[in-house]
Amino acid sequence: MTKNISILSIFGVIALIVVGYNAQKMDLNLQNSSVLTGYTLIVVMLCVALLNTRKKLSMIPLGKASSWVVFHVVGGLLCVALFWVHTNTFWPKGLYEGFLAGAFYLVSLSGIFGYLIQRLNSRKLTETGIEVIYERIPLELREIQEKAEEYILECTEATGSDVLANHYLNTMVWYFQKPRFYWSTLFGAGNAKVWFRSEGASVKRYLSSDELEYFRHLEELVELKILVDTHFAHQNLNKKWLLLHVPLSVGLVIMALWHLLLVEVYAL
Amino acid sequence: MAEQQIQTQPQSAEHTMARPQRWAQPFDSNMTDQDVDRLLSESQLKDIDSEKFPKHIPLGGILKNDTRLVKFTPGEIVVREGDYGNSAFLVLSGKLRVVLSPSLPRDAIGRSEENTRSLFEAFSQLWTSNWLPETRDTSKYSLDELMAGGSNESARVVLQDIPAILDKHNTGAIETGALFGELAALGRIPRTATIFADEDAELLEIRWQGLRELRAYNGEWKRMIDERYRETALAAHLLESEEFGHLDDDQIKDVADRCIFETYGSFDWYTSFQRLRSQGKSDEPVIARQGDYPDGLLMVRAGFARQTVKHGNGIKTINYLGAGNNFGLHPLYSAWKNPDASEDLALGSGLSALGYVDVVRVPASVLAEYVFPNIEAPVNTIEVASQKTVAEDALLEWAVDERFINGRQTMVIDLNSCVRCDDCVRACANGHDGNPRFRRHGKIVDNWMVANACMHCADPVCMIGCPTGAIHRSMSGGMVVINDDTCIGCGTCANSCPYENISLVQIADKQGMPVVDEATHRPIMKATKCDLCSDQLGGPACVRACPHDALKRVDFREFAH
Repeated sequence: MTKNISILSIFGVIALIVVGYNAQKMDLNLQNSSVLTGYTLIVVMLCVALLNTRKKLSMIPLGKASSWVVFHVVGGLLCVALFWVHTNTFWPKGLYEGFLAGAFYLVSLSGIFGYLIQRLNSRKLTETGIEVIYERIPLELREIQEKAEEYILECTEATGSDVLANHYLNTMVWYFQKPRFYWSTLFGAGNAKVWFRSEGASVKRYLSSDELEYFRHLEELVELKILVDTHFAHQNLNKKWLLLHVPLSVGLVIMALWHLLLVEVYAL
Repeated sequence: MAEQQIQTQPQSAEHTMARPQRWAQPFDSNMTDQDVDRLLSESQLKDIDSEKFPKHIPLGGILKNDTRLVKFTPGEIVVREGDYGNSAFLVLSGKLRVVLSPSLPRDAIGRSEENTRSLFEAFSQLWTSNWLPETRDTSKYSLDELMAGGSNESARVVLQDIPAILDKHNTGAIETGALFGELAALGRIPRTATIFADEDAELLEIRWQGLRELRAYNGEWKRMIDERYRETALAAHLLESEEFGHLDDDQIKDVADRCIFETYGSFDWYTSFQRLRSQGKSDEPVIARQGDYPDGLLMVRAGFARQTVKHGNGIKTINYLGAGNNFGLHPLYSAWKNPDASEDLALGSGLSALGYVDVVRVPASVLAEYVFPNIEAPVNTIEVASQKTVAEDALLEWAVDERFINGRQTMVIDLNSCVRCDDCVRACANGHDGNPRFRRHGKIVDNWMVANACMHCADPVCMIGCPTGAIHRSMSGGMVVINDDTCIGCGTCANSCPYENISLVQIADKQGMPVVDEATHRPIMKATKCDLCSDQLGGPACVRACPHDALKRVDFREFAH
């Protein structure tokens, strides 16, 4: 895939040079180069936006989605360069143009961010050593919680002590209820482990050897939950960035078309 | 299970039960002693010397437990070309007809036509796919008995207009007393022709276990089966091989006459494989032991074998052999080339059966006469394999352990590239009326996941025992597909698949109402699995839909290496 991106990037750079050269030539001939660069930009933008349509039409042989993604990435970067050629500035004047530029930058940045985090997250998820389907994560967490509560009940019945049970109710139940330490998990800070260690240290001195055995079982469950939480955090981010990128892209295309209409009607 | 009695002893914490016996599950529980007596008086069986059979496997026991009597009316298909079966048939009365050429049309033998959708039909799935899961147009199930659900006996396909078939197709007669189907049953190869009843016929169906015993303890049956194999399949097999391809007909016949047939492992290995794996055990009978001296070339005819070398305290897999592969050529050649050499000419590696393996042993004298003078020194595979590190062989070792080597179109996902977007699952559902035909879930080694998707195996054990032949190999692409129209939902294929890649689903009508059997009100089930998008344009949608090229369909023979 990286190889394909490199090859297509060469074509992208060539296309940019051709458009830039012709635009400069038009400017020197006192013609309006914005028409050329603007139309090129919107055509490339529309082509890039077709990736989502391709995903919906998976039953038709429209080529491999990975090739479309390569085009999407390279085309998207080309759009950024074309945008600067078209506007001749980082931030254009005018309120509407400002909104348009803002939307454009947000779409571009969210796209770059999404692409990069997807690549990074894949490896992080593999390194957990387990595989959990995103939609099944609540079920997995529920099972872990039930298992933890089974241990607590068993411990209380077997040892006659409620120290661990109280500890669970006062502190641990919060942790087992749902994914926790979202941001720390995303950044790999390991706060969950630190939290459990410190909470555990406070109660361990009151536990008998039998209770400590159950505590160790809880520890194992916490370790498993950390892995599931890791899947939740990274898979969640893998999906969430699209909630920003896709609607903004649709908005951007609409705004760009409106801009084109205004230019065609009033400026040319 | 009738003979198994579970006894509970309340005084003890243990449950006891009678140890399961070989014939705990007879082929047909309706077989009676009278039937056995009648069979023993039939001309084809009366000459068998029952004294030759061991006490624990008496001839009467084989007939009672490993055979069944089946009757066919004119036109009923007995075996279908391309089907995989685990039994042979002995004609007790009546006449059958075998279709020699051309083959019968697929729809005539209960197979679906392989149609690829047009571009518009593919596109129209956008609005024709049902929002409800597993809906079917129930009017297409024209055979009432197929809707009864689960009865293996009731589902037979009947040929219509036999005179027209006889006009258009070259056929041969199979008379009373003939045995057929034994090669497919013992060799795990597809049936080569369709056979149907020409008149009312009674057949003795012998499952492979019984056939194996008859072959083992009765010289006449062994001679008959081996002779038929020598005549029909072995010569072709030898001619296809690199070593014997240059021989003429007489020489091939001589080689075939001197070959020895051997089988290792269990024919129904798939039934115990998962259980043994979960217990951390394996059942791999030794074919050749490292350090032994070879007496012949082993040619694998069917199944898989693991080639191993001793490594530290364990054994290391260096290769696996499938149909068409040989074992032992290098040491035999070395011994022939340098008879006085002082080097150790024992086998440098061992060979064990992975499941069921069918082997032809070609004696060293045959090789010396026909093969060695005409070939260059063969490659020493052990030398090549020993250059690899343990880490480099880890994937192969794992693939062999898990029997993934059986896969020809295995779905493998590179987890380092997969972003878990499930576009593959959605694309699969889009091409199958909204129902995904695989799960993005499966066994993992390193960064590779083998997903729960049909692998379209080289040895498709799922096909064995399908009563209607609904699960079959597609003639065009060789993929394993299920004809939904003739599937009766008995679950034989799902239970047989060692990889859990076939699911049984409860079907609903187009309005989403569950379809149930009118007599028992039990739900009608259908077996479903990946069909490699055989009716879709452009091949497997899952592969095309992966945005990061993480998902591949691979032949494990190449992938594991």
